[in-house]
Amino acid sequence: MSLSRKKLLALGVALITSFGILAAGCGGDTKKDDSKTATASDGIQKIKDRGVLKVGVKVDVPKFGFKDPKTGKIEGFEIDLSKVIAKKILGDENKIDMTGVVAKTRGPLLDSGEIDLCIATFTITDERKQTYNMTTPYYEDPVGFLVKKDSGIKSLKDLNGKNIAVPQGATTRKGVQAAADKAGIQVSFIEFPTYSECKTALAAGRADAYAMDTSNLLGYRDDATELLPDKIAPQLYGAATKKDNKALFDLVEKTFDDMKKSGEMDQLLKKWDLK
Amino acid sequence: MATNPFAEYKWLALLKDWRVFAEGLSVTLEVAIVALLISLALGILFGIAGVFPNKNVRKLNRIYVEFFQNTPLVIQVIFLYHALPHLKIMLPVFLIGCLGIGLYTGAYMSEAVRSGILAIPRGQSEAGLSQGFTYFQTMRYIILPQAKRIILPNIANQSVSLIKNTSVLAMIAGGDLMYRADSWSGMNMYYGPTYLVTGLLYWLMCFPLTKYIKHLEKTAGVKS
Repeated sequence: MSLSRKKLLALGVALITSFGILAAGCGGDTKKDDSKTATASDGIQKIKDRGVLKVGVKVDVPKFGFKDPKTGKIEGFEIDLSKVIAKKILGDENKIDMTGVVAKTRGPLLDSGEIDLCIATFTITDERKQTYNMTTPYYEDPVGFLVKKDSGIKSLKDLNGKNIAVPQGATTRKGVQAAADKAGIQVSFIEFPTYSECKTALAAGRADAYAMDTSNLLGYRDDATELLPDKIAPQLYGAATKKDNKALFDLVEKTFDDMKKSGEMDQLLKKWDLK
Repeated sequence: MATNPFAEYKWLALLKDWRVFAEGLSVTLEVAIVALLISLALGILFGIAGVFPNKNVRKLNRIYVEFFQNTPLVIQVIFLYHALPHLKIMLPVFLIGCLGIGLYTGAYMSEAVRSGILAIPRGQSEAGLSQGFTYFQTMRYIILPQAKRIILPNIANQSVSLIKNTSVLAMIAGGDLMYRADSWSGMNMYYGPTYLVTGLLYWLMCFPLTKYIKHLEKTAGVKS
């Protein structure tokens, strides 16, 4: 009996704590303008004190963030962008700690402070802007469809009544749904946590198409599959920071802006064959 | 605390989309009920096979139990979903949930049944047989009624595991509660309220069962 009372007490404490967090959060939302100035320099100072910039990157998207199985090194356009930021803050582009993220883990990792910055094919949406700081886009990538060559599917219209695999936590589903509505066709979705599971589902015939940002699909194309000519819903990629780390956000935004003006951004895009 | 995972607007968004969770909950319940029936049937069948006089029948029980108890449910379900289609067998995902989880839990159920029967002193079945009962009559009228009291709480325990194990369907786009939670929170990043509510819903499904187990233990005279 005393044990269950103890458990009840623990549950009560847990509940009260979570509501406490909730209340604090509401307060923070309404008067965040005051806190901005207070934490403005802290965000960057913390990184300087630590001596390393923690960035969330993709490790499974060729050309953007990809871990080469042979060398074990993570490389790509977004990795180069992260290096530019690290150099700007710490004076050394190698003072960087990269964490591999998937769509589903990006938000929680930012919130918990495990990563300072997320540059990981993160599509900008209004919903996400409400929760995170998101820079102006540094890349635009439309959604494409990967299908089996022998499936007979040749265009978006052929997908009527078909199953489409999409990654969980990505904005792809909304974009495809809108395009399907516009084309007057019915599609259903099956979602998987990772890109490779989407590809496995396509190979197994569980899904008739795998919809995702085109650059991503190119990495999964093989002899048995092809991309449909239809491209929809341009996805705008932005870097993201925690809402209260405005200082880091401003710095990233300004750096990207400078790079665009000086042509450095174009050079990087050319380097990765993205332009 | 500006980036609070439990911010109020996230709770409101969840309330607005409650249907997503209700649909997931109903799929989870449907799969759990069908899987439970399958696992009970298999459990009784293979449990009795485990104490059968015939050696080959007992072997059958061991093969079934050792296979399903010693491989992860995740691999079994992924195999049914991703690998079988390559052999031209395309099972619907709902069936995979019922079959996969039913077969897996059935192995545990049959162990519960087998150990329950074995717990009845040998003298009981000897007495039955010596009175002219056949093997099946001895089982039906003498052994099983006594074993039931030992078996039931154990089976109810496995049922609780079964309900929670249905969340494996999230990995194969099963449309269950866990899948909807992953999908919904993945889209908008409101994972705080999502998983708190989802956890609570699983708790609400399992709690009555654990209460029932307590009740069974009491009536069976098992001291807690």
